[in-house]
Amino acid sequence: MTDQSSLWRSAAMSRKLAKRYASERRFKWTGVLAIVLSLSFLAFLLITMMANGVGGIDWAFLSGSDSTDPGTAGIWGAFKGSLLTMGVTLALSFPMGVLSAIYLEEFAPRSRWVDIVEVSINNLAAVPSIIFGLLGLAVFISAFGLPRSAPLVGGMTLALMTFPVIVISGRNAIKAVPPSIRDAALAIGASPMQVVLHHILPLALPGILTGTIIGMARALGETAPLLMIGMRAFVSTPPDGILEPATVLPMQIFLWSDEVDSGFVQNTSAAIIVLLVFLITMNGIAIYLRNRFEQRW
Amino acid sequence: MPTSFLILLVLGLGLVGWLVARGKAVKLATPGSRELHSLPRYHGAYVALWAIVPALIVFALWSSFSPQLISAAVLADPAAKALPTIAIDRAAVLSEAAELASGAIEVGFNPASDALVPAFKAAQAKFGLIGTIFTLLVAFSCGAFAFTRVRVGFKARTKVERVTMLVLLLASLMAILTTVGIIASLIFETGRFFADVSPIDFLFGTHWNPTEYGGTDQGENFGAIPLFWGTIFIGAIIAMIVAIPLGLMSAIYLTQYADARFRSFAKPLLEILAGVPTVVYGYFAALTVAPMVRDLAVRLGMENPSTESALAAGMVMGVMIIPFVSSMADDSIAAVPQSMRDGSLAMGATTSETIRRVLIPAALPGIVAGVMLAISRAIGETMIVVMAAGAAANLSANPFASMTTVTFQIVQLLTGDQDFNTPKTLSAFALGLVLFVVTLLLNIIALSVVKRFREAYD
Repeated sequence: MTDQSSLWRSAAMSRKLAKRYASERRFKWTGVLAIVLSLSFLAFLLITMMANGVGGIDWAFLSGSDSTDPGTAGIWGAFKGSLLTMGVTLALSFPMGVLSAIYLEEFAPRSRWVDIVEVSINNLAAVPSIIFGLLGLAVFISAFGLPRSAPLVGGMTLALMTFPVIVISGRNAIKAVPPSIRDAALAIGASPMQVVLHHILPLALPGILTGTIIGMARALGETAPLLMIGMRAFVSTPPDGILEPATVLPMQIFLWSDEVDSGFVQNTSAAIIVLLVFLITMNGIAIYLRNRFEQRW
Repeated sequence: MPTSFLILLVLGLGLVGWLVARGKAVKLATPGSRELHSLPRYHGAYVALWAIVPALIVFALWSSFSPQLISAAVLADPAAKALPTIAIDRAAVLSEAAELASGAIEVGFNPASDALVPAFKAAQAKFGLIGTIFTLLVAFSCGAFAFTRVRVGFKARTKVERVTMLVLLLASLMAILTTVGIIASLIFETGRFFADVSPIDFLFGTHWNPTEYGGTDQGENFGAIPLFWGTIFIGAIIAMIVAIPLGLMSAIYLTQYADARFRSFAKPLLEILAGVPTVVYGYFAALTVAPMVRDLAVRLGMENPSTESALAAGMVMGVMIIPFVSSMADDSIAAVPQSMRDGSLAMGATTSETIRRVLIPAALPGIVAGVMLAISRAIGETMIVVMAAGAAANLSANPFASMTTVTFQIVQLLTGDQDFNTPKTLSAFALGLVLFVVTLLLNIIALSVVKRFREAYD
C-alpha cells in the first residue's frame, strides 16, 4: 500500500499526469478553435457582402428590374419571379406533402408497397438538386411542352424537391401527437378519418408549418435546378404571370456575378443581402412558430 | 365560354348541391324521427363530390378529344380544299390557324392559315358549346342523383371518407411517381446518348471535349474520367479535409465540453452555414477565396496559376458541409450508451481520453456514415463549382489547377444549347445518371450502417 501511494506521488507520475492534463487542454482548445474558425468564416462572408453591398441598397435598387447598366439595375423583377415561383411551389407541395404524411403515418398498412414509398421519400430528400432540374427539363419542358423560363415550371420542379421535406417533417409532427388524444376521440365515437382531420391534424399543424417554411426557405435559395430549366432570362420588366419568362433572386445573383462591369459587384452583394434577409426572416418565423405553438405533452 | 368560367360554374353547382343536401339532411334530422347515420355536412359533401368530380373528369376528357374533332370539322370545310397535301405542311398550317382563331398569335406566318380562321372559329365555338352543355349536364344529373340518395339511413360519411382516403393514397404515390420520373427520364436520355457513344468510352475515356462532337469516332471526345476525378478531388478530398476535422471537433466541443449557454447560441450559428444559399458561397468563392488561393500559389512559386482553382471551390464547399458533418457526429456520439462513458471516466481517464479512446471508436460507424452522406451532398453540389472551379477537364492532383466536375459539365452542356438531340446535350443526362446512382448508393449504404449501428446499442 505504501509502495503504491509513493508511486502515485513520484516525480515520474506527476510528469505523466501533467502531460495528460496538458493534452486534455490542447484537445479542448482544438474544439474551440474548430468552432471559432467555422464561425469566423461565416463572419468573413457576411462582412464582405455587407461591405460590398450595403451602399447599393436603395429604393431604386429594390423597385427596379434587370438592366445592362449596373447603376439602374434593380431586383424587383427577380423578386417578383421568386414570389410567383414560390407560390406555385407552395400550392403544389404543401397539400401533397401533408396528405401523404397523413396517409403514411395514420392509414398506410404495413406492406411492401408502402415500404417502397417510404424508401423513395427518404432518397428523394438526398438526391442532388441538379437531378431535379434534369427531371424538369426532360419531363415538364421536353415531354409536356411547357414554356421555358416560366415560374410555373420552376415552381413545379422546386415542389418536387420540397415535397419530401414536408412529408418527413409532417410525419414527425403527427407522430408527436400523444395517443391519448387519438384514443379519447375514438372512444366518443369519431371515425378514424374524423380523428385525424379534426384532432390530430390541427395539433400537428404548427410542426408541419415549421417544416414547410424551412423547406420553402431552401427552395428560395436554390439555383441549380432552375438553371437547368432555363430560368436565366434577362428580365427587364417584372413577369405578370406564371407562364411568362422570369428569373429568381438567386439566379439574378448568379447572372450578375458573371458580368464584367465592376459596378455589378455592388449589385450582386446587395442582392445577396436581400436574399439572406429573407431567408433569415423565414427561418426566424419557423423558430417562432416552433417555440410559440409546439406543445410538449 | 372560357374554361375558368366553366370550372367556376361547376364548383358553384357543387356548392349549391352542398347547401341543398345539407338543408335536406337537417330537416330529416328533426326530433322524433329516426336519427341520421351521418352528420348533415357529410350529406352535403357527398352531393358536392358527385356534382363536381364526374363533371370535371368529363370536361378533361372532352378537352383532350375536341381538338381532333375540331380539325376534322375544319378539314371537311370547303376552305380546306386549298391545303397542301403533304401531311407535315398541312399540320403546320392547321395548328397555326388554330392559334390564330383562339387569339394565341396575332399574325399568321402562312397566308393559307388565314383562310381557315373563320372555319376554325365556327368549329371551336360549336364544339366548345357542346362540351360546356355536356359538362353542366353531367354535373347537374350526377348531383341530382346523389341528392335523391340523401335520406335517414344513408351512410354518407363512409362514402365521403372513402373518397378522402383515395385522395390521401394518390398524394402519397407522388413520391414514387417522382422517383420513377427521375429514373425513367435519366435512363431514357442516357440510352439515346449511348446509341452514339459507347458506355466504355464514356466511363473509361480520359479525354473530355464534348463541343467537338460529330467526328467519325465520337467516343474519344466523351471520356468522363477527368470529370469524375475532378468531382472526387473537390467534393470528396479537399472539401472533406476541411469539413471532417472542423465538423467533428465542433461537435465534440459542443456536446462534451460546452455549457448549455454557449451551446444554445453557437449551435444555431453553425447551422446558419448550412442555410446560406449555395449561390452565395459560389460568389464568395469566386470573389474572395479564389484570388487569395491564387496569391498563395504565386507565393509558393507557381507560374501563372489560374484564377479558378479546385482548392478554392473545395474549401468553400467544405465549410458549407461543416454543420452537416457536425450534426451527424453529434447524433452518433449521443447514441453511445452513457454507461460506456461513465465507465471510462470512473477508471480515471480524462475527458479527452474518454472521447478519443471510447466515444469515437464506439461512434465510428455512425461518423463514417455521416461522412458518406456529406460526400454525397458535396459531389452533387453545383453552384460553388460552377462559379469557382472552372471548365477545363484536367486530370491532375494539383489543387491550384483549374478542374471541372460532373455537375459543372451538366450545367455547361445544357445551358444555351436548345437542340435536344445532339450527343453533347444528351451526355449531360448520362452524367446525371452517374451522379444519381453514386449518391443513391452512398445514401443507401450510409443509412443501413446507421440503422445497424443504432440497433447495436439499443
